[in-house]
Amino acid sequence: MLAAFLPLLTFFISLFVPVKPAGKGAAAIFNIGLSLILSGALFLKVWNQQSFHFRIEWVTIGDFTLYTGILLNNLSVLMMLLVSGIALLVHVYSTKYMQGDPYLHRYWAYLGLFCFAMLGLVIADNLLLMYMAWELVGFSSYLLIGFWFTRHTAVLANKKAFIVNRIGDLGFLIGIMITLTQFHTLDLTELFGSNGLVANAVVKGGMWQSQAGMMPAGWLTAAGIAFFLGAVAKSAQFPLHTWLPDAMEGPTSVSSLIHAATMVAAGVFLLARIYPLFGDDVLLIIAITGAFTAFMAATIALVQNDIKRILAFSTISQLGFMMLAMGTGAQAAGLFHLVTHAFFKCLLFLAAGAVIHEMAHVKDKQGIAFDPQDIRLMGGLRKRMPVTFATMVIASLALTGLPLMSGYLSKDSILINAFEWAEGHSGLAKLIPYSALLTSWLTAFYISRLIFKVFFGELRLEQELLVHVHIHEAPSAMKYVLVVLAVFCFFPAFSLNPFLFEDAWILKGFPVTDSMTRVNLFHTIIPLAVNLIAMLLIFIAWLWYGKQQRKPDFSASGLFRFAEGQWYIDQFYTNVLVSGFVSVSRLVYRFDRVVVDGLVNIFARAAKALSVMAAWTDRNIVDRIVNGAAYLTGQGGRFFGHFQTGRLQHYFVTMLLVVLAFFIYKYYSGTI
Amino acid sequence: MSLLSTLIFLPLLAGVLILVMPSAWQSRFKYVALGTIVIQIVLSAFMYMNFNADLAGVSDQNKFQLVERLPWISIDLGGLGKLQIDYFLGIDGFSMPLLVLTSIVMLVAVLASWEIKTNLKGYFALFLLLDTAVMGVFSSLDFFLFYIFYELMLLPLYFLIGMWGGVRREYAAIKFFLYTLLGSVFMLLVIIGLYFSVTDPKTGSHTFNMLAMMDPANYTAGSIFSVVSKQMLLGVPARLLGFIVLFVAFAIKVPVVPLHTWLPDAHVEAPTPVSIILAGILLKIGGYGILRICFSIFPDAAVQSSWWLGLIGVVSILYGGLNALAQTDLKRLIAYSSVSHMGFVLLGIASVTPEGISGGMMQMISHGFLSSMLFFLVGVLYSRVHDRQIPNFRGLALLMPKYTAFVMIGFFASLGLPGFSAFIAEAFSLIGAFTSENVNGFLPRWMAVCGSVGILLSAGYLLWTLQRMFFGETRLMGGEEWKLALTDVNPREVIALSVLAFLGVLLGVMPSLAFEKMNSAVLELIRLVNPQ
Repeated sequence: MLAAFLPLLTFFISLFVPVKPAGKGAAAIFNIGLSLILSGALFLKVWNQQSFHFRIEWVTIGDFTLYTGILLNNLSVLMMLLVSGIALLVHVYSTKYMQGDPYLHRYWAYLGLFCFAMLGLVIADNLLLMYMAWELVGFSSYLLIGFWFTRHTAVLANKKAFIVNRIGDLGFLIGIMITLTQFHTLDLTELFGSNGLVANAVVKGGMWQSQAGMMPAGWLTAAGIAFFLGAVAKSAQFPLHTWLPDAMEGPTSVSSLIHAATMVAAGVFLLARIYPLFGDDVLLIIAITGAFTAFMAATIALVQNDIKRILAFSTISQLGFMMLAMGTGAQAAGLFHLVTHAFFKCLLFLAAGAVIHEMAHVKDKQGIAFDPQDIRLMGGLRKRMPVTFATMVIASLALTGLPLMSGYLSKDSILINAFEWAEGHSGLAKLIPYSALLTSWLTAFYISRLIFKVFFGELRLEQELLVHVHIHEAPSAMKYVLVVLAVFCFFPAFSLNPFLFEDAWILKGFPVTDSMTRVNLFHTIIPLAVNLIAMLLIFIAWLWYGKQQRKPDFSASGLFRFAEGQWYIDQFYTNVLVSGFVSVSRLVYRFDRVVVDGLVNIFARAAKALSVMAAWTDRNIVDRIVNGAAYLTGQGGRFFGHFQTGRLQHYFVTMLLVVLAFFIYKYYSGTI
Repeated sequence: MSLLSTLIFLPLLAGVLILVMPSAWQSRFKYVALGTIVIQIVLSAFMYMNFNADLAGVSDQNKFQLVERLPWISIDLGGLGKLQIDYFLGIDGFSMPLLVLTSIVMLVAVLASWEIKTNLKGYFALFLLLDTAVMGVFSSLDFFLFYIFYELMLLPLYFLIGMWGGVRREYAAIKFFLYTLLGSVFMLLVIIGLYFSVTDPKTGSHTFNMLAMMDPANYTAGSIFSVVSKQMLLGVPARLLGFIVLFVAFAIKVPVVPLHTWLPDAHVEAPTPVSIILAGILLKIGGYGILRICFSIFPDAAVQSSWWLGLIGVVSILYGGLNALAQTDLKRLIAYSSVSHMGFVLLGIASVTPEGISGGMMQMISHGFLSSMLFFLVGVLYSRVHDRQIPNFRGLALLMPKYTAFVMIGFFASLGLPGFSAFIAEAFSLIGAFTSENVNGFLPRWMAVCGSVGILLSAGYLLWTLQRMFFGETRLMGGEEWKLALTDVNPREVIALSVLAFLGVLLGVMPSLAFEKMNSAVLELIRLVNPQ
């Protein structure tokens, strides 16, 4: 637990303790180093042994008590070790890479927050706590992508990243709601343990029944899809992958830690944590999504020119492989690839960062405007940055999956598993392993294109701008990190047998689905096919990009532009979905102003009109009547006043008239 | 004098004190108000510490705490029996958290009142009168007394908006006043109806005692609201009609769509401290009224209408969120976001599950802190340049880094980032709404699913605002003049904002601080509404 909280300490130290940035960096490295040591100790204690579970009461609502705590089993200690290890290396690397930035203290703070959230994510013992860490990870990623907040593109990118991830979070939250309703607990062990509630729940008569309650069976699938949606967003799978390439606006060290090695793998981690929940239909969806994403991203990576974008699409593609493994029941293989990928992709990014660092240096020094990440301007860096070159080549070989490398073991395990799985399926599912095979060849090509363009030939920047520039090896803090990571790209770190993935120790730490029969044929043919064709492709790439020989020009073809436009998915989102949404909101606002508020105003106006009418009536009718009555009385009084003359003769005349009138009346009425 | 009365009448006394102080001392008025509120906070903190969470309250006087009951108006009406109105106060798990919230929000509002420059005597006197009225509303248990305090709130608010507000202040003030009055006039009819239906079991005379109204046994047979006789009124069951009328009165306060249009106008035109009080406290009176009065007195009608209440909640969440997305005025944006966030309260309450009602209560408390914080932040900007149009600002982060940090805390807290109170509140409201179908069948599951989209919307409009106003290179409409005027937050503002941010985090990390105190009351209410 302490291991997780140390980086949080970094966060607070960096924000609130007034020390010089260098001191903060040292404190951050010290904390994460300690985290690594503690993680190592925990790893030795827990790996393949008794898992450790500790929890305390958190909230009680009604009769339902939510506990919170930590759960350490094989999966979490492995991830802890991975996260703290890579984080330490990136911390060290950052001391040089970020040197001189005016907001360096914020950088350390955000990085500390990220490590805290990520470690919290992997050791959380219940789904709600995991969700909290999950969102915090997204939040720290938001902060780091937008670290250079004055850049317009960076702040657009971090907004996009957060919102797209929020879509996934909704899925996660809905999944939590379904799980809680069905099982009345969110505890991972109780739910997904070997004899847990999920395993014991059955679908009977269209109802999904557990000990605690039941729901229509559709909700089981819904829960699987909801959680998977969370993983899709975080692990940048189609159709929610568009945030990851944009996230490259952040510092490269951040990209390597968060957007290549750790955070994006959280989706895969989530699937592994809740694996028993997935039914066959959801697993198939996962496999298809993974395979499609892997293929799509690889095609896009073929034609990009921004070094970080190529790597970003490569990450998406590799995450697709992991998803594919998850979907095809090869949970262990997926996690194995997660670990090996974390090292070589982190290395690729850090090496690219070293290159970018140098290019940006040139840009600042010479005062020429160019894009320091454009591989069309690079070339020939092999001689100027030999260590960077060597390590990046090692990482690329691991990514391609050539023998003796770590990637060979993990990627082949995924591919072979996929073929074996396809044996038991029909229809579209048969295509999945072949598309994965195709994707792995594409991988070989795009990464060798990158390597040859950046490190071979002549420095095109000098040729195009006709200047002479100084580019030299990365500073030692960065260089040694690259070397350390390169060591982990070779097979011995994972398996003593370089050719047989089944000997890898990580694979032995996780449950292997033994429902599939081992088809020996696949175990020889597939590695062979992958590697022979990959070598051929690398050779072609060398001819085209390394030797600068004449190559066919695809740039006018439709497919090329389709890939270059990133399949136009992002454009579709921006132009159709986002602007559509904004228009809808404007429409709703107008509705609010005109109709809802309009009704209120009409009501008010009607009341006012009514009151005006009432006032008019009051003045002109009621008041007139009253005044009229008064007038009449006055007139009457005046009229009768005339009789009061005071002359006796008048009174006699009047009396006479009255008596006369009386008799006349009586006479005619005839009744006396 | 006991604690609750002190809490209620202390501000009134201070207000009178301000009135009799010579106008030459007007620079000291704010310190008098501040001192009063600080005492109030100490008292309410004391009340929080000593609150016994095991006593449920809700409908049983013996389970209320700090009860004060004095006969107040007692007139013998001969044949009509005895008119009896009690001065009856008490707190339970629903009112206590809101009283604490009130005193804290009032503190922030006082700190924001430093910006008020005209007619200070009148301002602070009305401000403190408002404080008294709100405290009274949250602690009275006699319906007549409740109504008096409820109406008493309107008067100071009307003048505070109408006299110290913005350009269209008169329109906004009168709109607010009439809207709320409309609700409460009909409420009075229901109160009278209830009075003639209910008799106090002890004295045998009619009573305004809310707790007596909650017990079906106290209704006279054949009376209009009697549970047994099922009277009809205008073709609708009388109890349902009574429920609807009371609900509309409180729904205007919450506010729910489509009764919300007073809110954006009132918020935008009101001076900053009044916006803070409006959003931080007054909206909660709506939610509190629904729980304390609508649900408790008319539980049968509440069960009948829960589906509709849930629907209104979901519509408010989505409709408010969409409207917020379309705003260009920062204050109006936050006003609409309030509509959206208060929708969660209604959704949670309508589910009648422990998670839902606790979540709804938590959302009220959390929104009280966070919306106060957001309005305070808008006030900071407005007081400096008298403008709050989003497109007129850009890159404020470079100019005002601390301010931007607070804005980010406020925004992320209210979009429900874990670690802040709003996350807990929204998550539990939704969980409650989702489990409802399994537990009691009141709300269908799709409502919770649709409601959760509101979380996405809030991320959309808040982050978009953040990007447009705070990031990028600095570019201001007012040019250099604004650049000089836009100084970073001063210590007074830092104190107010830090208090709110701290409370937001505290409740986000340790939600049991609030849940624990209200749990037994929530369970008791559920038992009352839906006895199983």
